[in-house]
Amino acid sequence: MIIVMKLGVEQSQVQETIDRIKELGFNTHLSQGQNRTIIGIVGDVSSIDESEVERLRATPYIEEVVRVSKPYKLVSRDFNKEDTVIKVNGIEIGGKKIVVMAGPCSVENKDQILNIAREVKKSGATLLRGGAFKPRTSPKDFQGLGEEGLKFLLEAKEETGLPIVTEVMDTRDVELVSEYADILQVGTRNMQNYALLKELGKIDKPVLLKRGMWATLKEFLGAAEYILAGGNQNVMLCERGIRTFSDFTRNTLDLSIVPVLKAESHLPVIVDPSHGTGRRDIVKPMALAAIACGADGLTVEAHTNPQKAISDADQTISTADLHSLMGEIKYISRMFGRDI
Amino acid sequence: MIVIMKAKVEEEDINRVVDTIHSLGLRTQLNLGAERVVVAVIGDISKIGEDNFFRIRAMKGVENTIFVSKPYKLVSKDFKKEQTIIDVGGVKIGGKKIVVMAGPCSVENREQIMEVAEKIKKAGASMIRGGAFKPRTSPGDFQGLGEEGLKLLYEAKEETGLPIVTEIMDARDVELVSEYADILQVGTRNMQNYTLLKELGKTNKPVLLKRGMWATMKEFLGAAEYIMNGGNENVILCERGIRTFSDYSRNTLDLSIIPAIKDESHLPIISDPSHGTGKRSLVLPLSKASVACGADGLLIETHPNPDKAISDADQTISLSAFAKLMEEVGQVAKAVGREV
Repeated sequence: MIIVMKLGVEQSQVQETIDRIKELGFNTHLSQGQNRTIIGIVGDVSSIDESEVERLRATPYIEEVVRVSKPYKLVSRDFNKEDTVIKVNGIEIGGKKIVVMAGPCSVENKDQILNIAREVKKSGATLLRGGAFKPRTSPKDFQGLGEEGLKFLLEAKEETGLPIVTEVMDTRDVELVSEYADILQVGTRNMQNYALLKELGKIDKPVLLKRGMWATLKEFLGAAEYILAGGNQNVMLCERGIRTFSDFTRNTLDLSIVPVLKAESHLPVIVDPSHGTGRRDIVKPMALAAIACGADGLTVEAHTNPQKAISDADQTISTADLHSLMGEIKYISRMFGRDI
Repeated sequence: MIVIMKAKVEEEDINRVVDTIHSLGLRTQLNLGAERVVVAVIGDISKIGEDNFFRIRAMKGVENTIFVSKPYKLVSKDFKKEQTIIDVGGVKIGGKKIVVMAGPCSVENREQIMEVAEKIKKAGASMIRGGAFKPRTSPGDFQGLGEEGLKLLYEAKEETGLPIVTEIMDARDVELVSEYADILQVGTRNMQNYTLLKELGKTNKPVLLKRGMWATMKEFLGAAEYIMNGGNENVILCERGIRTFSDYSRNTLDLSIIPAIKDESHLPIISDPSHGTGKRSLVLPLSKASVACGADGLLIETHPNPDKAISDADQTISLSAFAKLMEEVGQVAKAVGREV
């Protein structure tokens, strides 16, 4: 942390500031330039409370207080050099194998999810995704089947062996959804729902955290930090497209964040080319590109009859296309010493 | 508007259509495809009106008339189905081979450009890039060597045989730069410099058109349309990152536009991961991702001593890193049925 003093600050005021920092238990490093005096705080400043920073900032002779360190620690590579590998029913996420989570946007009925699950299993994908609680833009849109949907997902799991990824939207549902799901998904709209993140920090169920469509890299990792800080180390990060002016796609899939997250954090990184593009016709090339730049896995919306999907029809591929996609993913994965 | 002629059409039928359109005060451009003849109508389409639109459709030999509501037609697949392949001194852009154009941001001196040319040639690059006229953010920054830079590029070409890609910034320089360059590059800032685009439409030199950092896909294709509308069909599109709120990279490389453009246009499209990310460490993974999602080529900034590069040092990779990039990109190309 750096404290920049105002021009014309008096020596006694500089000393007063240094004393305040020392009282907090930190050493200081004084830099007196021709015009400016800057006080550096040495040590792990993450323990300095934000209210203390505010008090410093409000001091009349202090110009600015800048936190140099990042708003996250537990998620960073500095903290843990080794890649985190998350085990879900014998499947490793973040290891050598590329994991593919596939399934419909919404669980619609029992037959639909069972049929899709069988096709997902046949295609070689590793997990079944499907929404039972749906965050829809309009309150009048289909809101999901709720617990009934979770029961259908569990039936599909019992038949196919595919672990379940499904979204949780409400802190009060964490326990219920955990009974059925193997991975709890936090949707883009809830990336900074801190109450929910804190609740997920208290359990040890793996969490798939989607990037807020407005979130910078720091904010994204800050959200993951919330979950880790609560004690849950099993977090996967998921890039799913951000909001830009560009309108040929639903969102702008920001693939550059994949190698940056891999360098900055030890957590596994998943890419969602379905939401990232919103266009069925470019899901495949973007899925391949995601693997080519280092993603650990994909989440793909697939349906036996995409045209009739209740939600996200435009970006949902057919299960037949999922089969051919898996073949290409396998091929490109092996080029990089990985596999499916 | 475009007029699609029937598969087996008489020449007199085509002439009758063309004459009718001319009589309305509009120009035409004929596209003789492998299967069909398409007549593109150029000029103020509002002169046609609904009556003439259907009158033309009813003419002998006419299959269909389409009002292309898009601000482009010559660049669209409706106009020409076959992928455009541009031959630049024997290097084919838009074909099976991934074309890699590499070199420094700026031509600095003879020694620098000669060393780059030799090393990239050895690594397998197809063309040399280098700026002689530089659009720098501040007028106080290095503005490029001008014609002297072009001469140095030409020497490098004579030595290695690599064709030259270099930027053109002023309509008055088109003739001069054309004497030396094989491809004229329009930089992101000039994507909607219509004076320049019109001037380039009058030549037959291939043009590398970079996407404006603010441009939607329609605006991007509209700019390419300007060049083609003037009669120059040799246009190569280039994605180079757009402006978003996301701040860990210089720009947000919008790779989804590659498959989207492939779907919409017959023109080749290449990717510039150097400007697209602004970070050396991201150039390799995003080069691989570009090829994985269908790019026809790459534009890469490389320098013998990137730390000492006059401009764009942060995003310029070393010549040894470039050689490694060529190898890895080659593997991805193989995975998607192409080659470097």
